[in-house]
Amino acid sequence: MEPYTRPFWESLRDGTVLIHACESCDERFFPPSPICPHCHSTDVDWAETTGRGTLYSFTRTHATATAFDDELVIGLVELADGPKLLAPIDASYDALEIGDDVRIEAAEYDVEHDRGWLEGYPFFAARPLD
Amino acid sequence: MQMYIIRSGLLYHIVPDTTTPAVAGIGTVPNGTHSVPERDLALRVVRDALEDASLELSTVDGLYMPAPRPWTPQGFFSTYLLHVLGLEVDRSLEVSTGGTSGGNAFHSAVSDIRDGTVETALVLAVERNSIVETTGPYFDYILKSFDAEFESPIGMTVPAAYAQSMQRYAYEYGIDRGDLADIVVKNRENGAANPNGLFDESPSRDDVLDARLIADPIRLFDCPAPCDGAAAILLTADDVDESSSPQIAVDGTGYHHTASHFLMSRETSITELPAVRRAANTATDRAGVSIADIDVFEPYAPFPHIEAIVTEELGLAERGRGVDACLEDHTAPDGPFPISPSGGCLGRGHPPMVTPLLNYVEAVKQLRGTASTQVPDAGRVLTTAEHGHVNGVTATVFATEV
Repeated sequence: MEPYTRPFWESLRDGTVLIHACESCDERFFPPSPICPHCHSTDVDWAETTGRGTLYSFTRTHATATAFDDELVIGLVELADGPKLLAPIDASYDALEIGDDVRIEAAEYDVEHDRGWLEGYPFFAARPLD
Repeated sequence: MQMYIIRSGLLYHIVPDTTTPAVAGIGTVPNGTHSVPERDLALRVVRDALEDASLELSTVDGLYMPAPRPWTPQGFFSTYLLHVLGLEVDRSLEVSTGGTSGGNAFHSAVSDIRDGTVETALVLAVERNSIVETTGPYFDYILKSFDAEFESPIGMTVPAAYAQSMQRYAYEYGIDRGDLADIVVKNRENGAANPNGLFDESPSRDDVLDARLIADPIRLFDCPAPCDGAAAILLTADDVDESSSPQIAVDGTGYHHTASHFLMSRETSITELPAVRRAANTATDRAGVSIADIDVFEPYAPFPHIEAIVTEELGLAERGRGVDACLEDHTAPDGPFPISPSGGCLGRGHPPMVTPLLNYVEAVKQLRGTASTQVPDAGRVLTTAEHGHVNGVTATVFATEV
């Protein structure tokens, strides 16, 4: 059995952010799942996005798990296509404001954190758009 | 007698409980650092609760507790404890649902007493945070509570989740970040008066706003301080009257979990906590009262904006006005709806598995008239416990028996 989310990571490596679309209720959702969390239909499929969205909220940590830098800028991104997702923000904390235009893009993952079967795949980050 | 309520235009049939559980006894140790095994803390609070209730240990036929944290040296804790106590029970369980673990353990005991499965339930919680390195292993453990594939690799922390709801709350409602500090000061002042609390004094508003950053804009005193603690509560069927302490009825319980995990809400803003509203409504309906009938609130509110939002969800303040409720002293011990006169987890320290039970203990003390910051003539108290970013909530109504 294949991990259900593998197409997300394969596509991300090729530069496209995928989410999920429900053919029954037409909602878009994330994370990808074979059951729509809005109407519980199983008539769901992958949908391409531009990765573009706006910053819904954000923070900067000053201490976290061992493998990570103490200071991490993290935010919630509301994609133009609907769902929100949490992402590292590739920007200085002081430069950010809620509502900023950002884009989710593939990002090299160099933290010594065990991602299991995803070792070797890129992760993603939100980058501000000018 | 048939009982009905009308909600949202629909008629609901209420099946009355045949038995209303009562709190027969309580036992706690002060929040702090305890350099003895969890076993010793557990046995101490069990002994004290039995003494408070004037009950023999042999009457206990149910044991309910939050599952001890993974760094607790003793595994299979409830089984081990039954052996040490020489106690046979008809039900025992360890619950693991984050911050609601103690609440769900307590509610399970309440259900079992209501339906007659057990007659005397021992609800117990014990936790030592002084034995875990907060700089490494604790954060590694916390990381696993986020989406392991899409969120944990970011390096998330619990304050980093609450920081984003604080940031958004201030943005949506134009909240002055400085005003949130007054909620911390109110709770720390109440906590300083609580002999079982962690702190002897309160920081000033400026101290709160100048403290070191934890996750912007959350600073040190905005966070509940992890500590060691333990509590035991004995519940009995109300027709069993063997105790010498005044009995307090558990009049209503409610639980709700929204379809969200930490910040991943869909239709609802992260500045709303609908599970609080739903659980509290269920608990007050079951108790046959409304929020206006509650004299004291002891919620599980681990950050100041969460207390403000809980105030809104309970209908005590309009959306976005929860901070004003504190600024205008409405939530003070002598205000119209006192919130956390015990200090709550911000003011008295926070062993998360124990905190829900400490809220129950404070409810019992208010109703006995023995609280450290007593609300005069308190007759009903509502407490909550929450899971994660308050998407799962237990609510409990306690009342003096009349």
